[in-house]
Amino acid sequence: MRIDKDVCISCGECVRYCPMNAIKMDDVAIIDQDECVDCGVCHKAKVCPVDCIIYEEAPWPRILRAEFSNPTHSHASTGLPGRGTEEVKTNEVTGRLKPGWLAMAVEFGRPSTGARFRDVEKVAMALAGVGVKFEPVNPVTFLMADKSTGKMRPEVLNEKFLSGILECVFPREKGPEVLKTLQKVTREIDTVCSVDMMDLVEPDESIPMEKMLNQLGVFHRINGKTNVGFGRPKYKGGNQ
Amino acid sequence: MTHTLHRMGTKESLSGDYIFLMMPAFGINNADSAPKLRKFFEIALRHKPVNMGDAKRSNMHVLSTLELMDNIDKKGTVVHAVYDNEEAAARALKDLKDADLGLSLVVSGIFENVKKQCQKVGIHRHGVNYSLGIWGKTEKLPPENVLEITTMCGHGLVSAALVSSLAEDVKAGRKNAESAAKEMAKMCDCGVFNPVRAARLVAALAAA
Repeated sequence: MRIDKDVCISCGECVRYCPMNAIKMDDVAIIDQDECVDCGVCHKAKVCPVDCIIYEEAPWPRILRAEFSNPTHSHASTGLPGRGTEEVKTNEVTGRLKPGWLAMAVEFGRPSTGARFRDVEKVAMALAGVGVKFEPVNPVTFLMADKSTGKMRPEVLNEKFLSGILECVFPREKGPEVLKTLQKVTREIDTVCSVDMMDLVEPDESIPMEKMLNQLGVFHRINGKTNVGFGRPKYKGGNQ
Repeated sequence: MTHTLHRMGTKESLSGDYIFLMMPAFGINNADSAPKLRKFFEIALRHKPVNMGDAKRSNMHVLSTLELMDNIDKKGTVVHAVYDNEEAAARALKDLKDADLGLSLVVSGIFENVKKQCQKVGIHRHGVNYSLGIWGKTEKLPPENVLEITTMCGHGLVSAALVSSLAEDVKAGRKNAESAAKEMAKMCDCGVFNPVRAARLVAALAAA
């Protein structure tokens, strides 16, 4: 995003809309290009009385900022809007998560801080070290130079974005090791991440992951998401 | 499935926050999904949602509901509806089950309540997604009473600065809590932001 300094009237209306606090007032409003994630909120807010906020599609690798920050901008790698991954929202159809396995998503930069791919790499490499499998149909995985080590492509490391999801699966018994590794490595990153874990519901309505989280003393919220299983055709080999 | 996950708040506050998401599995059942997604909107509207939206378009505080329904991408998209009470959510769930659209549905809310709603209408849940909270450099976060509002847009498009500034506007009498909440809701493209809950929270923030 940029502001046409010849048109800006310095009203400052756009400043509070920026999720990254990247707009500062000088003689006119100025966008810090290193902090800006090209989410488009300043433009979309339609508060500029002289319409001087401009979005121009950026070249590679900066284009990643819009892809990972503007949810209406589909990802080139998956063709999907938002964060570009179905995760387990359609799991009863896709079978991404299979019985006996757990899925985990580490969402960088959320809430309210933004993140850079160098932090993603740090966590991805630590998790790869304990043998998780990264989700192949995911824009973050697509940016890895080596999916077996979690190493990202070097040219993307400094790109900043609002939220990007590192997704992986692992056998249920590996859960404690994965969580301990994540606890350790997230102490070393320069941003926050929202973490979630998914499990399938057993025929008796129990959720095996809950017992593991409680035994490990890992916090989980009272609210979250339930896939009610309406999708068809059902994945063969699923739990229902 | 995270953009309606990680919503923060007390049990009392979250009891007025239910989000429905429907989407096809791309490459499997998306080809003929547009009329089914339109049907989702029609059913959702019967139960008076406080927000509705399409991830590729915008929400009902920016576009009319007709515009949302008439322009669904033929290749498929992700649609949402938000309810501010459990009764409306339960009725919407039952109607969607009866409609049998064949697309995946995810319901976000307090787990024990969603489980009860599912049992009532004979649904065996496929899977659950738990939020394990925020990890990393949490000292960078805004205050919790601001996060309770901003986390209702899972893509992070409602800025903490906007929430704080609108709370100041409410405190000074320049805006009422409802119009402040609607201004925030416009930023959340997907339409998963709950403006009714946000109005209560911003009023409390202004009074703090």
